[in-house]
Amino acid sequence: MPEPRTGVFICNCGTNIAKVVDCDAVAEAAAGMPGVVVARSYKYMCSNPGQEMIAQEIGDHDLERVVVAACSPRMHEPTFRRAVETAGLNPYLVEMANIREQCSWVHDDGARATEKAEDLVRAAVMRVAYHEPLERLSVDMCPNTLVIGGGIAGLTAALELAGAGKLVYLVERQPGLGGNVARVDLTAPYLDSAPDILTDRITRVVEHPDITVMTNSELVRLDGFVGNFTATLAVNGNDGPGEERRVDVGSVIVCTGYREFDASRATHLGYGKHPNVITSFEFEHMLRQGRIETKEGRLPQYVAIVHCVGSRSAEFHGYCSRVCCMTALKYAHEVKSALPGSYVSDVYVDMHAFGKGCEDFYRRSAEVKTLFLMYGKGEHPVVRRADPGDDCEMLITVDEQLSGETIELPADLIILMVGMEPREDAESVTRLVNISQDKDGWFIESHPKLDPVATTTDGVYIAGACQSPKDIPDSVAQARAAAARILGKIAKGKLEIDAMFAEIDQDRCSGCRVCNEICPYSAIEFDAAEHRSHVISALCKACGACVATCPSAAIKARHFTDEQIFAEIAGVLG
Amino acid sequence: MTFEPKIVGFLCNWCSYSGADLAGTSRIHYAPNVRVIRVMCSARIDPTFVIKALADGADGVLVCGCHPGDCHYSEGNYKTMRRMPLLKRMLADFGIEEERVRLEWVSASEGMRFADIVDDMTERLRALGPSPVKMALAGDAVER
Repeated sequence: MPEPRTGVFICNCGTNIAKVVDCDAVAEAAAGMPGVVVARSYKYMCSNPGQEMIAQEIGDHDLERVVVAACSPRMHEPTFRRAVETAGLNPYLVEMANIREQCSWVHDDGARATEKAEDLVRAAVMRVAYHEPLERLSVDMCPNTLVIGGGIAGLTAALELAGAGKLVYLVERQPGLGGNVARVDLTAPYLDSAPDILTDRITRVVEHPDITVMTNSELVRLDGFVGNFTATLAVNGNDGPGEERRVDVGSVIVCTGYREFDASRATHLGYGKHPNVITSFEFEHMLRQGRIETKEGRLPQYVAIVHCVGSRSAEFHGYCSRVCCMTALKYAHEVKSALPGSYVSDVYVDMHAFGKGCEDFYRRSAEVKTLFLMYGKGEHPVVRRADPGDDCEMLITVDEQLSGETIELPADLIILMVGMEPREDAESVTRLVNISQDKDGWFIESHPKLDPVATTTDGVYIAGACQSPKDIPDSVAQARAAAARILGKIAKGKLEIDAMFAEIDQDRCSGCRVCNEICPYSAIEFDAAEHRSHVISALCKACGACVATCPSAAIKARHFTDEQIFAEIAGVLG
Repeated sequence: MTFEPKIVGFLCNWCSYSGADLAGTSRIHYAPNVRVIRVMCSARIDPTFVIKALADGADGVLVCGCHPGDCHYSEGNYKTMRRMPLLKRMLADFGIEEERVRLEWVSASEGMRFADIVDDMTERLRALGPSPVKMALAGDAVER
């Protein structure tokens, strides 16, 4: 076994690792592992002093390999690759041992967690000995972008990119642009008009020479890789077979938004049974028509607004839909201003007023004499038809939490604050662009805090409510962030892509062509004259399927070679 | 003292390794018996990796990939799905019990599922005892 000069750096992550794993003991054990010339434990390896320590030790000890035992490589592998690179080491000569997400955070037995951490470090030390310096590939970056979805996020991203002089293809499945914001009247908390926010953007997008808008259209296929995608679109497909169009793009932003929760699923609220129980979107429509009235055309005296319909419930969605509380307060203002004599009550679980200006808005709503009634999470208010003698049409029974009493609330019009949920086609979108959904169906970002617009597929970004429930400012911010990320890549002109691709040893290849069939990307070409196969490295995505399949063991997965994985296996088993 | 099995887990980078990381960020505790080796796709898991792990003293091998239809590389997990039963059939001929090699699908959102699988497998292997390969190798060493 090769024993290059190796340095091992054990991160304490404050106390995140150190409170369970005995980091000094791990460092001590590491010092005795093959090839290890220095092993140190430090509070935060990813901090500047931590990275400088690594660079310093590389110089002081002439290190040829580095192992960092810290968080998941999915978190900080790029950080440590850069750190060793600054010290003159090839970035692929570092290996991480995941002793946080997969050790200290999931175990409480300190002795056994420490033993596991030592095994993981040994595996990394033994693996890294077989690492080879690799060169990244440099490819051209196509400056065009495909934006999927013409809601507020998609419109914003398109304008941002086109504003920088880049070509944008905007596809929208619906006949018109604007998405869900186009269905809204005023916006909370400043009560500015949604059409005002939207109309100007739609006009600018439609008239922009660098934006090609395709409505009634959708993405049907995405081929290629970051900087070099080919998107196949079905244009005007909804009214017939549609015309197929192919466009070359370097990046994709998914802005497919959300749909509202189907209120009829919450049967206790009587939606679909009582005509004057309506959803928030139906109320928005009423507001845009300019008249708040019951189905019978009467002005309602009692208006009740029920929060968290479909959200924050064990039965439907566990998450908070984030915009409904403030929208509900907006309704209280709009009802009070249109019908000053009416009584407005808000039936809520908790009031979430987290955004800028929202707490003030909540206070002002209380001042306009909105009645707030709190019901318990896990319970639900029940709507029934009122008795003939009552001066209202319906009654809502609420187990009110603050007073501890069961209250019957009169109502002529009941507005259900329906939550957000992933669109029914979300899953098919993830398959088209190769991204993932979380347990609730929202698209998963690359990192929840540090990389909220990128995804696990390089070159594919997400923005707006397709990632999680979001209000307009957050959707706009995310759309602009995604556009900025793309413009940054375009500005560089060339892209560095990961050096991990498969290689075929021409001397060992028997020309059997099994790998040709197995490759999902058609990245393996057969040279009939030579009777050998070879990999087109820019197309290879490094899955390694061909490597495990080749009967001649002629294919090498760079950075995931058999030798490296065998060493890792021997390492974890001590 | 109860026997503590050692499990080598081969996890695909995109779904299962992320799922295992999610168990961490969600602080879902599970048995410390598993040692995870990351591969880009479950299709990279050459059957010899599993054999090597058993030969090196693992009491069990856990192979995890994306759910069918969700593979980051479109269809890699379908290859794993076909490969692993063949491997298990061969291992059975060598007297290696069925429970020692386990194939599971774990998505990036299934931290809890990953933890449950590890706990369950640990429990079963505890009941089953040390791997016969390990015992045979230890016996050989004594004879030598």
